[in-house]
Amino acid sequence: MSTEKPFKIAVSDDQIRLLQQKLSFATFPDELENVGTNYGAPLSDIRRLASRWKEGFDWRAQETALNDELPQYTRAIDVEGFGALEIHYVHKKSEVVDAIPLLFVHGWPGSFIEVRKILPLLIQASPEHPSFHAVALGLPGYGFSQAPSKPGFKTAQYAEVGHKLMLALGYDQYVTQGGDWGNLITRKIALDYGGKHSKAWHSNYPTGLPPKLTANPLLYLKYLFTPYSEAEKALMVRHEWFSNYGKGYYTEQATQPQTLGYSLADSPVGLLAWIYEKLVFWTDNYPWEDDEVLTWVSIYYFSRAGPAASVRIYYEVQGGDADRVYTQRPSIPMGISLFPKDLKGQPKTWYETNANLVFSKYHSEGGHFAAHEVPNLLVEDLRTMFKKGGPAFGVVSGKTGY
Amino acid sequence: MSTEQPFKISVSEDKIDLLRRKLDLCVFPDELEDSGTSYGAPLADIRRLVDYWKTGFDWRAQEAALNAELPQFTRDIEVAGFETLNIHYVHQTSQAVGAIPLLFVHGWPGSFLEVRKILPLLTAVSPEHPSFHVVAMSLPGFGFSQAPSKKGFRIAQYAEVGHKLMLALGYNEYVTQGGDWGSLITRMMALQYGGKHVKAWHTNMPLGIPPPVTRPVSYLKWLVTPYTAAEKVGAQRFSLFDKQGRGYFIEQGTQPQTLGYSLADSPVGLLGWIYEKLLSWTDKYPWTDDEVLSWISIYLFSRAGPTASVRIYYETYQSGDWQHLQAQRPSIPMGISVFPAEIEIRPLSWYKTSGNLIFSNTSHTKGGHFAAWETPDVLVKDLHKMFGKGGPAFSVVPGKTGYESPQAQ
Repeated sequence: MSTEKPFKIAVSDDQIRLLQQKLSFATFPDELENVGTNYGAPLSDIRRLASRWKEGFDWRAQETALNDELPQYTRAIDVEGFGALEIHYVHKKSEVVDAIPLLFVHGWPGSFIEVRKILPLLIQASPEHPSFHAVALGLPGYGFSQAPSKPGFKTAQYAEVGHKLMLALGYDQYVTQGGDWGNLITRKIALDYGGKHSKAWHSNYPTGLPPKLTANPLLYLKYLFTPYSEAEKALMVRHEWFSNYGKGYYTEQATQPQTLGYSLADSPVGLLAWIYEKLVFWTDNYPWEDDEVLTWVSIYYFSRAGPAASVRIYYEVQGGDADRVYTQRPSIPMGISLFPKDLKGQPKTWYETNANLVFSKYHSEGGHFAAHEVPNLLVEDLRTMFKKGGPAFGVVSGKTGY
Repeated sequence: MSTEQPFKISVSEDKIDLLRRKLDLCVFPDELEDSGTSYGAPLADIRRLVDYWKTGFDWRAQEAALNAELPQFTRDIEVAGFETLNIHYVHQTSQAVGAIPLLFVHGWPGSFLEVRKILPLLTAVSPEHPSFHVVAMSLPGFGFSQAPSKKGFRIAQYAEVGHKLMLALGYNEYVTQGGDWGSLITRMMALQYGGKHVKAWHTNMPLGIPPPVTRPVSYLKWLVTPYTAAEKVGAQRFSLFDKQGRGYFIEQGTQPQTLGYSLADSPVGLLGWIYEKLLSWTDKYPWTDDEVLSWISIYLFSRAGPTASVRIYYETYQSGDWQHLQAQRPSIPMGISVFPAEIEIRPLSWYKTSGNLIFSNTSHTKGGHFAAWETPDVLVKDLHKMFGKGGPAFSVVPGKTGYESPQAQ
């Protein structure tokens, strides 16, 4: 018995009123002179955004637009050991009957909203390229999905939700696309459900593994003797910056998410700054409009479980949970797209160690939120991977996308 | 011309009003079932504290008590390359004219408040132990001291403020006591002003590096000397800190402004952020709600706002001062007290590498990071042992042994 219900975002008037009240009492810190973005989100940006949020930003209009553009639903998904969680998702079918079912998995500080720009491109019918039936999952604890109430909701559980959702929608076989946490989660889907259900996966935030002489001799030699491309080097420099200077949020979220949660729950301005900093630092000079930023942050602010729930995933995957997923090699075909302003970059041979890599492309523009920043480039890569003659053509039986 | 002004804490009604309004609108997160303190400050504690903050906590009473107990002042201190900063401090002289001038330097999330319990003990006069004239400054950007408005205010600058304050108060020669940032700042003071002005220094959070290969005897000794039981426990504690407790350090060291919006705007957020450390860095200290809220209030009502206080992490982390200063060895006599629940405890040989160790007490069985608050008697006793008659630092400040009889009235 399907528990699917159509869903429209409908934030209560009370919630909006409370937000307004808090913004009217907002207290801002000072800022050191001439520091730009070196110390964090700049004061003038945050003041301007907070001011717009209080007056000018029309949440109802954004809400309506989202409801119009994105067909949304909720349904109960049972997670072993955790009970049933009510999961929110976007689901839009292509008019191409045999379109490829694709599960899109977001990360932090993203949400289901990241499917917005790629959705029309994915479902678009054309003889020139494959089409997809698109499902964009709202991760448990994000957006309008319920959050788990017990500790221990790890990678396997997130993967289980994604997989069961696809099955519930009648997609026994499917492919996946993910970045940020979506990479880890779709990797786990590939490991646990790959072959039988997940038939291929694409990531814009892959994590590779150094090849070992004994385990992967050819790859190891390739790694030793292949010089890095400029694109590889650039991303590796970015990776170093991120590791040394960009992981404060990560470390806190991975160790004391509850402590941080008090701030995120109680201060809209605090939440705004916490997220905005990433929207700026992690993108390729993407020209964020204030309303765009505020819509992204509002999804966190008005989320079903509250913003504190969204950062617990960092804690749960520590202590080897994520590592165990990265050190295994899913057998299904994988495609990767690398964008220069993303946060992680490893030698390309490393991506071949722990994956069956059939497609890869380095881009010269774009950052961490590829689906939002450079939707055309991302979808083009998916089309290339899955098209007639492409390396993952026809992976889903009877659903070639044409 | 002295710019010293007597100071009484007097938070405006506006600020108290605003706090009340924010607390009324306070929104709490949920919490995972049975998660204890594993995920951070526990929700039940925070709810209880907020409740009390709203209905029972009397800031005016706390303010009055602080003003009654702690003689406070402000004065302008020039800092080379920066603006003149108006610095807040506690200054209590002993009745013994020849008392030893001592500068007490706090850290984060501490404040001048940390001198409260040790002040009467340090200034007490007795033939049994030395007495001190005590100066407890509020670091720039903390408490009621002005904050610098330019970037690059590093440990050297904090040290300069502390030193100039002592000179301004007429203490040309003095000793220091510090923990947390106070440890690094007094280390810098020992390096910059030691010998001529700073005569000895004591810290309850000693830092240090392993003996270098270039000092073969110490190096080999370190290699072959098994860690004591206490050192092993200390190493475990550090490992725990490293795995669980570093988030604040890295965020404050890289994006203090980003964090600062939360700390400035949400009293509950600020409470959670600090309270977590008051719990995890202490040795089961039985914090009362009044104590906790007073500590938090000093940050909330601080002159520069709470955001200013975390910038010290950025300046120290980004510049490399954190590692660089520990690798140096001030020549003046150093004393240390090591408490079992301190954040990190290193082998004694490391402390000896980075300091001229003449006094150490590593056999404390109780106490943690905020020694002056948790175990004031014990900390002061160590200072008595270090500076008293027969002690290794007796009479470091010429003519000020701490035993001269009280001046006739």
